Amino acid sequence: MYSSLNSKSQDVNGAARRPHTDHSFIPPCQAKCPLQMDIREYVDLAAQGKVMEALQVIRSGNPFPSICAHVCTHPCEEACRRTQVDSPVSIRALKRFAVEFGGDRMVLAEAETTRPEKVAIVGSGPGGLACAYYLRKLGYPVTIFEAHAEMGGMLRVGIPQYRLPRAVVDTEVQRLISMGAEIRTNTRVMSLDLLFDMGYKAVFVTIGAHQGLRMGIEGEESPGVLDGATLLREVNLGLKPSLGQRVVVVGGGNVAIDAARTALRLGIPSVDILYRRSRKEMPADETEIKEALEEGVNIQYLVAPVNIKRANGDLCVTCVRMELGEPDARGRRQPVPIEGSEFTMKVDTLVSAIGQAPQMPGGFGIRIGRGSTIQVDPLTLTTNRLGVFAGGDAVTGPATVVEALAAGRQAAHRIDDYLQHKYPRPVSTNQPVMTGELDQQTIELVRKIGRFEPLYLPVEDRTRDFKPVESVFDWESAVNEARRCLRCGVGAEILFQDKCASCLNCVRVCPYHVPYIDMAGTIIIPPDQCQACGICVAECPARAIVMRKPRERRHIADELDHIVKTAAQSKARPLLIGFLCQYGLFGTGTLAGLWRSGKAGIWIVPVLCTSKVEAHHMLRPFEMGVEGVFVAGCGEQCSRENTDHWVQQRIHKVRKLLAQIGIEPERLQAFVSDKNDGRRLREELERFTEQVSSLCLASILKQEVRN
Amino acid sequence: MIVAEAKNLTEIGKTIAPYGRILVLGCGTCVTVCGAGGEREVALLHDALRLMDMKAGNGKHVFLECTLKRQCDPEFLDVLEEKAANVDAVLSLGCGIGVQAVAERLPDLPVLPGVNTSFLGMAKEWGVWDERCAACGDCRLDETAGICPITRCTKGILNGPCAGTKNGRCEVSKEMDCAWVLIYQRLENMRQLETMRRYYPPRNFRAIPRPKRVLSKINAAGGGHE
Repeated sequence: MYSSLNSKSQDVNGAARRPHTDHSFIPPCQAKCPLQMDIREYVDLAAQGKVMEALQVIRSGNPFPSICAHVCTHPCEEACRRTQVDSPVSIRALKRFAVEFGGDRMVLAEAETTRPEKVAIVGSGPGGLACAYYLRKLGYPVTIFEAHAEMGGMLRVGIPQYRLPRAVVDTEVQRLISMGAEIRTNTRVMSLDLLFDMGYKAVFVTIGAHQGLRMGIEGEESPGVLDGATLLREVNLGLKPSLGQRVVVVGGGNVAIDAARTALRLGIPSVDILYRRSRKEMPADETEIKEALEEGVNIQYLVAPVNIKRANGDLCVTCVRMELGEPDARGRRQPVPIEGSEFTMKVDTLVSAIGQAPQMPGGFGIRIGRGSTIQVDPLTLTTNRLGVFAGGDAVTGPATVVEALAAGRQAAHRIDDYLQHKYPRPVSTNQPVMTGELDQQTIELVRKIGRFEPLYLPVEDRTRDFKPVESVFDWESAVNEARRCLRCGVGAEILFQDKCASCLNCVRVCPYHVPYIDMAGTIIIPPDQCQACGICVAECPARAIVMRKPRERRHIADELDHIVKTAAQSKARPLLIGFLCQYGLFGTGTLAGLWRSGKAGIWIVPVLCTSKVEAHHMLRPFEMGVEGVFVAGCGEQCSRENTDHWVQQRIHKVRKLLAQIGIEPERLQAFVSDKNDGRRLREELERFTEQVSSLCLASILKQEVRN
Repeated sequence: MIVAEAKNLTEIGKTIAPYGRILVLGCGTCVTVCGAGGEREVALLHDALRLMDMKAGNGKHVFLECTLKRQCDPEFLDVLEEKAANVDAVLSLGCGIGVQAVAERLPDLPVLPGVNTSFLGMAKEWGVWDERCAACGDCRLDETAGICPITRCTKGILNGPCAGTKNGRCEVSKEMDCAWVLIYQRLENMRQLETMRRYYPPRNFRAIPRPKRVLSKINAAGGGHE
């Protein structure tokens, strides 16, 4: 199904181009992702328990999904429209589920060298690694130069191990090596000319932003004052800096939180964070702040140090309390010192984590801009030097892993353009992005399902060492969580307006009251409100409504054809075909044994919601010699409304037809599954099998009597 | 709008029995709206007929399917020239008008009805249809507060209610509203109850000769296509 991802023509960023019959929108999560990952697709696959396929989708858009699965700042979750209903889908945790259960560690990556031009990458952070990955895929020989003894840049020396285990980075580096990338650790590049002299035709500079910013206060050079990046680097490289008993961290970003939590894990009993604004303005990740507080970090808001003095073995930090004044140009309220509110803290170590900047060797000869970042053309990532490209934190200032990966990917394609003397093709997509809020009415009608969270290590076990804090989703929670996705932008559309008889069935059957009649009397299905349940598609008498994705239009018919063909070769009798909701039941695996252990030849057509099974789908198996047909929905677990009602309506209709044709209507049944264990379904299925068997026997006897 | 109902398959089976190649012909207007003969029903009937054929064991029919925008307008029927070229009969899922229009167009082919045309009516809700008009050609709705006693009263009486009304329901069925009670209530709401006092003479059925025709043009030279 997904081979198309590789075979189809790809645009400049490696994303698959969609067929013109695809009328889906880019969901907000994907639009917000720097890597533009097909999040909706892999979340949907996770909801079906198809972890391997989900991993395949993830890998097609992300060079190092395991790394993102641990530390991505998930801007996608901020954009998630489920937030308007209850809370966003745990996209990052679902990715972690897919990479761990799908076996990302086992994925082999290979690359062939097809091009003669060597490319040098300076810095082995996420940007450098991603660039190397894609350049290898494009066939270029690549060398990565790393100043430290170990690969990974900030992944290795910046992010604490309790968030990103070393093994994850190691796996990715190993994979790059097996792809043929040359690695030079302990090699600090001091001059780019030298690289060009060595025969490299292009250079990608991703040296990151490792230099801690200075606070600009008196006494900053006192012993006992260090910066956050240095502390994290030392700890990550296996050193144990002695910090005393009382540590205070200055800053409100992720590095400040990481430094404080790292200090706790080094056994420091008292760790404080001083932040000059309030919690609302704190730039650190919300969950990080929560976890830090749980672990016992004391965050003092609206406090800033003004002076540091070393006296009697203590570090005396004079602080001033702040209040929030007018918002600045970015809309953040500026802290203003309150006069006379000074107080002094006595600590052993002060960690300053107020930001970092790149530190560029003078020999690079690259133009530097604001905050010592490298100036580049945002489209081509070219610097002022010919053949030198730059990206990552060195260009943007401290940012996120996923942004660096995106820059690395962009650089790889731009370097390819440069070396092949091509103009960079602008990234053009005619696919519109889903925007717009959900209507209040839609929000009220969508079933509320609370967010599932993976398990976290108990607080008391966390601070002892650097064990990972978050564990993987268990199978069931992951599937349930993935089903919360609203599938933005792949709903139903009235594709054939000329066929539409304006019968208003869609308006009447929609569980979410989405279709409406506009002033001109035309029926409109607003794509930003549609929940993609597919009920109107199955109920449209003119067949004017279809799902926006072509694959979903023929999904059931194709699966049915395939299954019936396979089933025809089996000898087990009676032959039964079941349409089974593939969400949940299949996902949690409880139904896997159902048809294998059954006495009859039970064959399952997996469907994505039984309300999409149309009357003719139920009729067709009989024509193919099947003796019984059943539809089994997921019942109470359903993340939608009213699906069972529509199954019943269609069963009723088809049964009437069956009776008229002379086939016992009892050969068509609907079951509703109970919660997860599937025991009731098994019993009902056994009863159904017996019933169909006896009906078969009776009809054979009748035939003989007639003869 | 015209409301129709699917015919029983056994009945359809009998009518198509003598013919081999059959075109199942849907209509995209009224019968689509009432779910009796649109593209979806054509496909379902097609499948059902094939299954019936298989069950009977003869398998001698071949079915083709096609749905027109509207069967009751000659211009829409032009495609039949090609679609019905090699068939032995047409099974029309259009209303009675559609069946006749198709028959008129295809002089040599049997055109069989696939639905029972039931009445002129409207949807009460999804899947429920109610009769509203008898097309009597002599509309009196202005005098009956917009409620038609000819279709909605079981007896179709013009001077109601009769003695069979009880608690606003008809004696024929407790589910059925008495049309004349509805008329009374509506007139009361509109403060026009005095109209109830009037006597309505019986309708003159002789004044409505059949078949009826509506003319909205005069005979003059020129105009549309001949």
